[in-house]
Amino acid sequence: MGIQEQYRSEAAALLSSGEVKLVIGFGAGSTADRRRPLFARTPEEAQKFVLDAACIANLSTYLVAEGLLSDGKKVGVFLKPDGIRSVNILISEAQLKPEQVVILGYAIESGKDVAALEGRNISDFSIGEKIRKLTPPPHVIEAAEKIEAMSAEERFEYWKEEFSKCIKCYACRQVCPMCYCRRCIVDVNQPQWVSTSSHTLGNFEWNLVRAFHLAGRCASCGACDRACPVNIPLRLVNYRMGKEVRSAFDYVAGENSDQKPVLASFKQDDPETFIL
Amino acid sequence: MAKIGVFVCHCGENIASKVDTGNLVKALSDHPGVEICNEYKYFCSDPGQETVKRAIRENNLTGVVVAACSPRMHETTFRKACAEAGLNPYMLELANIREQCSWVHSDKDQATEKAIEITRSLVEKVKRNNELKPISVPVTRRALVIGGGIAGIQAALDIAGAGREVILVEREPSIGGHMSQLSETFPTLDCSQCILTPRMVEAIQHPNIKVLTYSEVEEVDGYIGNFKVKVRKKARYVDMDKCTGCGDCIQKCPVKKIPSEFECGLGNRTAIYTPFAQAVPNVPVIDKNRCTYFKNGKCKICQKTCQIENCIDFEMQDTYEEFEIGAIVVATGFQIQDTTLYGEYGYGKYKDVITGLSFERLASASGPTAGKILRPSDGKEPETVVFIQCAGSRDPSKGVKYCSKICCMYTAKHAMLYAHKHHDGNSKIFYMDIRAAGKGYDEFTRRAIEEDEAEYLRGRVSKVFEENGKLVVRGVDTLLGKPVEVKADMVVLATAIVPQPDAKEFAKKIGIGYDEYGFYNEAHLKLRPVETATAGIYLCGACQSPKDIPDSVAQASATAAKVLGLFSREQLEREPVVAAVGESTCAGCWGCVSACPYNAIEQKEIRDRNGNLVKEVASVNPGLCQGCGTCVTFCRSNSIDLAGFTEKQIFAEVMAL
Repeated sequence: MGIQEQYRSEAAALLSSGEVKLVIGFGAGSTADRRRPLFARTPEEAQKFVLDAACIANLSTYLVAEGLLSDGKKVGVFLKPDGIRSVNILISEAQLKPEQVVILGYAIESGKDVAALEGRNISDFSIGEKIRKLTPPPHVIEAAEKIEAMSAEERFEYWKEEFSKCIKCYACRQVCPMCYCRRCIVDVNQPQWVSTSSHTLGNFEWNLVRAFHLAGRCASCGACDRACPVNIPLRLVNYRMGKEVRSAFDYVAGENSDQKPVLASFKQDDPETFIL
Repeated sequence: MAKIGVFVCHCGENIASKVDTGNLVKALSDHPGVEICNEYKYFCSDPGQETVKRAIRENNLTGVVVAACSPRMHETTFRKACAEAGLNPYMLELANIREQCSWVHSDKDQATEKAIEITRSLVEKVKRNNELKPISVPVTRRALVIGGGIAGIQAALDIAGAGREVILVEREPSIGGHMSQLSETFPTLDCSQCILTPRMVEAIQHPNIKVLTYSEVEEVDGYIGNFKVKVRKKARYVDMDKCTGCGDCIQKCPVKKIPSEFECGLGNRTAIYTPFAQAVPNVPVIDKNRCTYFKNGKCKICQKTCQIENCIDFEMQDTYEEFEIGAIVVATGFQIQDTTLYGEYGYGKYKDVITGLSFERLASASGPTAGKILRPSDGKEPETVVFIQCAGSRDPSKGVKYCSKICCMYTAKHAMLYAHKHHDGNSKIFYMDIRAAGKGYDEFTRRAIEEDEAEYLRGRVSKVFEENGKLVVRGVDTLLGKPVEVKADMVVLATAIVPQPDAKEFAKKIGIGYDEYGFYNEAHLKLRPVETATAGIYLCGACQSPKDIPDSVAQASATAAKVLGLFSREQLEREPVVAAVGESTCAGCWGCVSACPYNAIEQKEIRDRNGNLVKEVASVNPGLCQGCGTCVTFCRSNSIDLAGFTEKQIFAEVMAL
């Protein structure tokens, strides 16, 4: 039995036993190489789940939908290691209760094979060590290094160019599991900190605010990158922020669910390079 | 409708020489919402304040901007003036056109333009100010003094003498600090212990002072008037209440060859020990790392010797005690710099190269040689002693940049004591400058030179090495412009005074600032020298900077005056600048809870009318909030606002620029 069949029947069992009220997984997409999220509430619906190497989205983002978990019931969800990482961050930020999430874990190996991950509860996945060793895909590193090699002026020009494409659709925000605020800072209009129009200044404001809000919180799932309709390489911004946080505070987001938010906690050996 | 009064101060020529105040008044008069705009030479003067008050009354002003100096200077003055004229004092803003404008710019046109911008932005802010009321909080009238050296003892005695409770915490087994190690003290040459021990006894016997020795401050929470302090009382393994201080256990302890810290390694102590004979309290402690029982599980000779049942208890554990504290005096003292920095002086290599502190022990009547100045290597009387001043101080390349302040004086004293004890001895002192400012100080050093024949050589020493049983000190006499070589029997290094090794860590623990070395920062070097930037925490002694005994004592009494001033009130009025959470948008991530340095943010449940939990949100306790704004900057959904510095105010300020 392949993993797809195995997880179909496990999801069906979870639903029929009433352990979970919903399983979030993948279904067929609009084209052969695409998958779209599928929300199964009955064992029958669970038979439609698809699990293959095209299932790359981070479904943890649906867990923080308003009201989904407020009844205290459990939800099952298909997650890759980056999604498990997101769940760790969400738990540490009190957005999820660990006992409400049943994880159907899987990993995509060498871009094609799908393997099951042992465990169902978030505490079963001791992924801390693995995350530390985990490197982003080579093309991300390559692109990041190219930008890091630029002079400050070149880099500014590069991002100005990239951000100029932004149409402020906020798809990056919508798809990101970490953007769970019910009112985003860009929607504050008394006063209007971030300007709404998509000119250079407003685009910089938005994208930099988002980068800072994700510093030490990004699980590197790349959802923002894929969601962006104008192809701004957003994950490079977050990759760089993650690198900064790691070198300054030896902190990797989502290693476990007990982490304190890195930018809101203080350790005696924190570097104080900002103090002149 | 806003009716704002703008008052432009000349501050004599301080502002008027660089800012065209006429133009400033003209520009502001036309600004929307400005009802009246005046200029005057000194608005902080009585007539100046009267002008402001009159303007408020006559024009029914809703807000006031005084364009003058920093709010740190005169905010209180003008708030009071506003209140007297019937305007809420928080409807005042100071536009700082002095420190942030006229003092730092040379071009008058540009400075004027900047002053206009600054003032305008404050007008825009004050339009959005809300009337606020000060918050009153109770004051716990109990002080914590950290460090039981002379500074801490003095502060404790002064506070206790005024009838307030004091907790005096000392991490060593005895109070007394470095002063108890000294021989005679400059400039009067009275015996250090003779003048110190009465104070130590007074402190421990004082009904208002609770002395906790062998204890350390673990945690400090809270704020001025309302600190919560956790103290760790380290296990002494000897019951403080039962021990009579007979010393039998010390006599019988088989581990006798431990270099005594108190004697700078010139004498030995046992594993169960009191650091010195007059220790207060006179209760020994067991050095767990050296005790045979703790190492091998066998011995307990001290326990068998002790005639009191259960007095020595090897099972004793560290205990913790918590105190409610109103004010904290930090008097944690200093250490001397590691001498290994100066390998060329041979410290550690040659036994007769010693530090000034070791010399104190040699010269002390209670020291390992009973006051005879003898060479540590062979116990012989040295015929020539070389003193090297600034062995670490004023040496930016290897040591520390600053002057350790006390070395000129104690070196003169050392030379003097040596001359008094060895009439034929020669003392030679290498120095950079003789710094002897203080009452009776210069006379003292002159006396060392003129009466006690100390030979001062102005210059640095490059090397100390041994040759034919003598220590050869090679240096330069810069006044003669010649190299010199002195054959000495003993070399004394005036090592630099440095902060305690854990000073920075401790500062972070209790929340005070420190400088590049780890000396604690005062709030203002001249005007608030014993306060820290953290309200309710005060400083005295050498933890702030190198200091001699007179300065430490004076500063200790100054902190006591500050503490008693605070304790003279039952209630403390606090600025109403506190944060508040917008509950509708709070996402409940608790980032603010962990970011808050004052533990002022709690979790609060929001329930609907049927009692069902809707969500949990952050909630600020205004009694604990210090208005630092850390939570505001952290909050991603922008759900926290700070009274007096609301988002709307700040935004209006920025947009007015």
